[in-house]
Amino acid sequence: MTALKYPKVQRAGRWFDVRRRRLGMWAYAVNRITGIGLVVYLYLHLAVLSLLSRGPETWDSFVSMARSPFYLSLDVILLAGILIHGLNGLRIALTGFDVGVRQQKMLFGVLMLGAAILLAVAALKIFGG
Amino acid sequence: MENPFAEEPKPTAAWLWQVFTGIGLVILLGLHFIANHFIAKGGLRDFADVVAYLRNPVILVLEILFLLCVTSHALLGVRAILVDLGLSEQAEKRVSQALTLLGVLTVGYGLWVTWAVIR
Repeated sequence: MTALKYPKVQRAGRWFDVRRRRLGMWAYAVNRITGIGLVVYLYLHLAVLSLLSRGPETWDSFVSMARSPFYLSLDVILLAGILIHGLNGLRIALTGFDVGVRQQKMLFGVLMLGAAILLAVAALKIFGG
Repeated sequence: MENPFAEEPKPTAAWLWQVFTGIGLVILLGLHFIANHFIAKGGLRDFADVVAYLRNPVILVLEILFLLCVTSHALLGVRAILVDLGLSEQAEKRVSQALTLLGVLTVGYGLWVTWAVIR
């Protein structure tokens, strides 16, 4: 299989071209935006994990701080990104294999509803302890 | 004029690998998140708890698989976005090389942190 070969000049403006965009393309853009956020988080997370190499005192004082409501709120935002990216990614994978292409609007809606429900349950768990 | 970019691109080999690692991540990230943030008391493990957790051989294998999957999935995603901006073929090659190097360094760093904890 080969990628679509668009003219280079047109490719650069692709993200800013809103003409005749369909829901699938918007959902695809959302997946990339959440993906960029998750890549940034991945490297922040790896940097924080280096605290483990400094021993128990350093790590445990970080853990105490990370249990504050502010950090728990960031966890909920992170989880929102993961759920949107993960579930929308499954839709993109399916449609990429020509599965459910005609039902993709409904699929997107159902998956995002699922993401919202899972996020609400997880947020209750995170703040409920 | 019709927008030629109104449709999603078709799969490439890199995209297929990203799908494979993505499916792996749904499972491995789910396990990682549940084990480290939902089962752990207070949503995070203290140092002694992290050491005990990572010294479990099954957990260790799963966490290393998770590191490999998340790194390759993330960097393939970055590559897809950069390539989509319309780079020259030479620039695409350099981006691929740089991201491969970054991936190797990332996995190496992850393994080093893991070793520092369990040794």
